[in-house]
Amino acid sequence: MKETLKFEFTAADPVAYAKSENPHAKASTNVGDTIDALEAAFGEVVTGRETYAGEHTVFVEKDRIVDVLRHLKTELGYTYLADLGGLDRFTEDDRFEVFYNIVNMQEGKRLRVKIRVDEDDMSVPSITTVHRGATWNEREAYDMLGFDFDGHPDLRRMYLPEDFEYFPQRKEFPLLGVPGSLPLPPRRPEDGLTLDPYAAAHDGPTPKSYQEPLSPDYADDHHDH
Amino acid sequence: MHTLTPHVQMAPAASSDNVFTFWPRHNEAIYKRLESKHAWLEEGHHDDEDDADPLENDMILNIGPQHPATHGVLRCAVKLDGELVERCVLDIGYLHRGIEKLAENKTYQEFMPYTDRMDYLAPYSNNVAWCLAVEKLANIEVPERAQWIRTMMCELARISSHLIWMGVGLMDAGAVSVFLWTFEHRENLYKIFDEVAGARFTVSHSRIGGLSTDLTPTALRLIDEFATDFPAVVHGWQKLLNRNRIWIERNEGIGVLTAEEVVEMGLTGPMLRGSGVPYDMRRFEPYLKYEDVDFNIPIRTEGDCLARYFVRMEEMLESVKIIRQCLDRLPDGPIRTDDAKKSYPSKNEVYYSMEGMIHDFVYTFEGITPPKGAHSYHAVEAPKGELGFYITSDGTGHPWRVRMKAPSFANLQGLEYMLEGSVIGDMVVLIGNIDPVMGESDK
Repeated sequence: MKETLKFEFTAADPVAYAKSENPHAKASTNVGDTIDALEAAFGEVVTGRETYAGEHTVFVEKDRIVDVLRHLKTELGYTYLADLGGLDRFTEDDRFEVFYNIVNMQEGKRLRVKIRVDEDDMSVPSITTVHRGATWNEREAYDMLGFDFDGHPDLRRMYLPEDFEYFPQRKEFPLLGVPGSLPLPPRRPEDGLTLDPYAAAHDGPTPKSYQEPLSPDYADDHHDH
Repeated sequence: MHTLTPHVQMAPAASSDNVFTFWPRHNEAIYKRLESKHAWLEEGHHDDEDDADPLENDMILNIGPQHPATHGVLRCAVKLDGELVERCVLDIGYLHRGIEKLAENKTYQEFMPYTDRMDYLAPYSNNVAWCLAVEKLANIEVPERAQWIRTMMCELARISSHLIWMGVGLMDAGAVSVFLWTFEHRENLYKIFDEVAGARFTVSHSRIGGLSTDLTPTALRLIDEFATDFPAVVHGWQKLLNRNRIWIERNEGIGVLTAEEVVEMGLTGPMLRGSGVPYDMRRFEPYLKYEDVDFNIPIRTEGDCLARYFVRMEEMLESVKIIRQCLDRLPDGPIRTDDAKKSYPSKNEVYYSMEGMIHDFVYTFEGITPPKGAHSYHAVEAPKGELGFYITSDGTGHPWRVRMKAPSFANLQGLEYMLEGSVIGDMVVLIGNIDPVMGESDK
């Protein structure tokens, strides 16, 4: 299917990119032999591999990710989890990706493992039993994209309050947020929380703090205009 | 399929009618995690049958987010038994600006000033980390002189960040005068950044493909003066602190982490190296000119706060060594790559030639376009640890997804572990020792 561009831009030439050598490529990311060893041990579980800028990415099946990472940790020396995060591809099938950036400190190697997650089944096996440091990263991925990590010890939102009802890093979430999705502080101490982000526009300027203590007829002075 | 509806449907919280409870479900979840009946009493959850603490020894203390010793907006909810911290839950996100989401709506060059606001104690490192990540993604070469200058300025940023760590850390332990001394030298560094970039704090000096401006002779003189004077200052501080009984007793044996624990919890930077794990991006994946300069990576094996203090102090001296070598070996040449598809043209070109102006315009609103589906990760050794950007491209001038590996975020997770079982008086020392910057950990 031919793609139609919705805006104008100068597309990079993929052939030229593939031919030229990346000046920033690192020796540590050249881990083709690790992926070979992984394929030998797991066979069909390894569903694909990618190379860009000298970096190797291996795709594995979602249900076996814990086994794969445990094998990488115990047999192949990838003991350090540098990063874990999610990605929204915004496609019909296999919409989300989770990537695991793991490091072998002894041999100086870095590998990226990826799994694909479908929107209809957001459950992902939690790897906190293998890498304890994944606890907060998984909480963050849940907070931002809404993965449901099975077996996570403490799956709360990382940054946003529990009262928030959206997953903001999904592509359909607007950049400016959803007005009224979180209660905001009152503009006067005696008021309750408000859901109106445009309160200043709707009921006049915020009273100054030096006007306290408020007189009983304060509201009459400031609201009836 | 992709409609915007609330994803999370929850039962109304018990205290949602209380106007003074901000985010009731959120606080309820934290107290539930603390497993404290007293906090639950306030929330109306008390269950008479399950009374494990009849003498009421437990106490809940909320420290922060508006507490000076938490170095920003970090909130620690701790359950205390006397002075002992039984359980600790960190609540972060009070400075969450959605910077990863913002990046998806900017061109690559446009996003660079936002990185200043991440680890705002060492903005130059963040700029360089971002530019290197984009350069790797888009396959852009950087001229030699720019690489040397970047190396030098990153080390100045490291010293600047470590000075804040030291001054504030010692102030938390009671020595206010050190805070003032370190600010004297931070002022010298600010003067250098002002001369180099035109801004003291949020420098935004690096550009994709090079730098915005070359160093002036004044800047070189200021850096040279700083590199000459600074080692004696550090030696003076070491003389004061290394055998200082108060400082040692506040730090020795506090927050001990073994090498296995730090690797298991994914801590980075001086937290790793203070526990004897030799992991430093400058050696692990050398970038810029770190392969060509001679320096040591300080390592300690004790794994307590004192070890991390020694690591950072020695790192400052090693940084001066690197700066000295960069000054001596700084080559002549261009500071930005001469390819208008990959980097901004020089201002002379923009002002005096039509092509230059068009290139400048196109680069501003469209910028570089890495190939569709390209994704790469590049990390640098920021003062706090491994700072990496994992960028995915969709072939347009905007990144499809930017993932930041923030060192402060990784280190704060270790704080939760270290605080449990320590005494409350050590808390400020531990927070100061981790050196978190909330701008970075909250993204």
